[in-house]
Amino acid sequence: MKKIFDSINIWISSVGRAFAREWSLVLKDIGVLLFFLALPLLYPIAYTLIYNPEVVDRLPVAVVDNSRTAKSREFIRQASAAPAISIYGYADDLAEARRWVHGGDVYGVIVIPRDYARDLGSGQQATVEFYADMSLLLRYRALLSALTELQIKITGDVTMSRVEQAGAAGMISMPINSSSHFLGDTEQGFASFIMPGIVILILQQSMLLGVTFIGGTSRERRRRNGGIDALRPDDMPVSATIWGRTLCYTVFYIPMTLYVVKVIPEIFNLPHYGSAVDYLPFILPMLIATAFLGQALTWFIKERETPFLIVVFTSVVFLFLSGLTWPRYAMGPIWYWVGNLVPATWGIEGFIRINSNAATLAESSRPFIAMWILCAIYFVAAWGVDAAIRRRGRRQAATVAADS
Amino acid sequence: MTDIGFLATARRELRRLTSRRIYLCTMIFVPLAVTLFFVSLLGEGLPLKIPSAVVDLDHSTMSRGVTRSLNSTELIDVTQKLESYTDALESVRRGEIFGFFVIPANFEADALGGRTPTLEYFSNMTFFVPGTLAYKGFKTVAVGTAGTMVKTTLVSAGADPENVGALIQPLNLDIHPIGNPWTNYSIYLSPSFCSGLLALMIMLVTCFAITAEIKYGTSVEWLATARGRISVALAGKLLPHFVIWWVVTMCVLSILFGYCHFPLNGSLPALLVAATMFVVASLAMAVLFCCIVPNPRLSLILSALIGILSFSLAAFSFPVQSMYGFIAILSYLLPVRYFFLIYCNVALNGADVWYSRYYYLALAVFPFVACLGLSRLKKACLNPVYVP
Repeated sequence: MKKIFDSINIWISSVGRAFAREWSLVLKDIGVLLFFLALPLLYPIAYTLIYNPEVVDRLPVAVVDNSRTAKSREFIRQASAAPAISIYGYADDLAEARRWVHGGDVYGVIVIPRDYARDLGSGQQATVEFYADMSLLLRYRALLSALTELQIKITGDVTMSRVEQAGAAGMISMPINSSSHFLGDTEQGFASFIMPGIVILILQQSMLLGVTFIGGTSRERRRRNGGIDALRPDDMPVSATIWGRTLCYTVFYIPMTLYVVKVIPEIFNLPHYGSAVDYLPFILPMLIATAFLGQALTWFIKERETPFLIVVFTSVVFLFLSGLTWPRYAMGPIWYWVGNLVPATWGIEGFIRINSNAATLAESSRPFIAMWILCAIYFVAAWGVDAAIRRRGRRQAATVAADS
Repeated sequence: MTDIGFLATARRELRRLTSRRIYLCTMIFVPLAVTLFFVSLLGEGLPLKIPSAVVDLDHSTMSRGVTRSLNSTELIDVTQKLESYTDALESVRRGEIFGFFVIPANFEADALGGRTPTLEYFSNMTFFVPGTLAYKGFKTVAVGTAGTMVKTTLVSAGADPENVGALIQPLNLDIHPIGNPWTNYSIYLSPSFCSGLLALMIMLVTCFAITAEIKYGTSVEWLATARGRISVALAGKLLPHFVIWWVVTMCVLSILFGYCHFPLNGSLPALLVAATMFVVASLAMAVLFCCIVPNPRLSLILSALIGILSFSLAAFSFPVQSMYGFIAILSYLLPVRYFFLIYCNVALNGADVWYSRYYYLALAVFPFVACLGLSRLKKACLNPVYVP
């Protein structure tokens, strides 16, 4: 019995030593500090500055008015009153308007038909055409929704006067009203929508880069020193080493997490309805799983500089797998499952609900549990990788010894 | 003709490229795999059938009709039928639904009695695409329900059923999305993000290859192969890179425009010329970084920083015109921005190449800018010092 306690004791003190050793390695390496400190500190600011104008408005639009009546001018006047639309000018015909689109002067063309006023007045249906530039969906959507609002308004006005003429007694307004509400990002701002997800991804990616950077540097050192890394010697059990390092990275990231999930939304006035009691414990398993994942990925990183080539581009892939821009229910089974394996997928999903929809930790239990499962999977992977790296080192050391 | 060592440098680089697996992986496998990732992930083009809930507080024939019409639209999938607003909100927070539609109590009685009940719908905008699409689906059904009511009333008041459609829908909007009539997300996202990824990988790999010479002290021999001229050394070194990247870029374009049949309304040669100039400009960017900081870590950080920020700065999703001025100006320092603008003009809008003349000109400027710092890079290559 005493033996068991002794070995547990030794294991725990090994974790502590591995933690301390990793901590001083991190602090001494300017490259790692850049990933662990500068990246999470500066990237969120850079992104918010890019997206902070939030909404797209005053988009220049051309008009081809073939009706040239009071009614068509009224339509244009109402359209230009919408914040999204700014009338660039009247084109003589569609050909001229097309030249404006090609030259990048306008992002849409409103075409009012010749019979517009007559059709509206005589109980017929008038069709207004809208040609939209599709280079950016955000612009298309802003213009489309402004025009749809206008259509509904005009439809309401005209219909009621027609109903009166038709003599439907007792119907003084539309029989059913509807009202729309937006949850979470109530202003539909772009920064408010994308930033909560981006900051979580920044946490994961900066940590992955830093951890693989330390790992790659260590493997390079080991190779040059005949299979032995003097700064990270193999003098402790693999499991204790991995846990020690993981704790080191996680502890380092606690202030970083506070900064990106609390300070950044406060500074830039982004939505932050959630409570810290919910989102801080929620992020913890993501940090731990990422620390393990980084150590497992070190298998592919043989040199100090290779994390740049192998880890950086995954940010783009992970962003899409997370479902932030393209919802996960619409993904095929393969990509859905690949997404399940990325800690930030769950981190982003759960954090957004907590942060922007004020969900509680209990309501986010699914992603929370999923991240703990990833912790277990990546612990095993990191264990296997570290053991394999040590084995290689021993083999190299043995050949070096045999040669000399 | 005297031998200036150009071919020898190119041959030397080819040996270096084939001797390490990481080049094969990052120059060929990564760009092609990510392109396939985008087109297969966004395959359908629109995330239809958004998981949504109906809160029916009326339980009448009419309210069940509304639920049925919600379910029959292509945008909405009623996955939950709930009994209260609170339940629905909790479902949103759990991430089970992206929006819900509330039918008030006494809906049918009020509607028929002229007391104008209100249908309410809630869309969760924290996930932009499903949020906006759910909103669109809800709105269509809400407006349609009102329209049907008016229609019924008018017909019972003696209006001609044939004409009643035009009567209640006096204004029709006919939308023509230029170049992408399906409003397909893949057409919108894949070309821009694939070119952003190409620019990122070109810059990273080129910086890695150039500064590795400094790191391992082989830069002296590299310059010697090119008879001591840095311009020849770089041209020879980057020739194999250019050829590989050009072939990979052409493969990416063939996946997008050939295999996936993305719209190409303008001239194909114009797009291919732009792609070629884009590859050269991205290589030039990398050379410029190596001249500014002739050190592996710093030049790679610069590439990664600018490469990743380009996805936002080049305005693939949020327009430059809406950014703050001091940010928007950075957008024009990126080759990928010009390639994106040419792509929109030529492929989507089918505009004449003349409209893109300045973008081609801008792409052509990058190599000249890179030449400005060559002497600095040469100095670093002659006395290679590795700063880890």
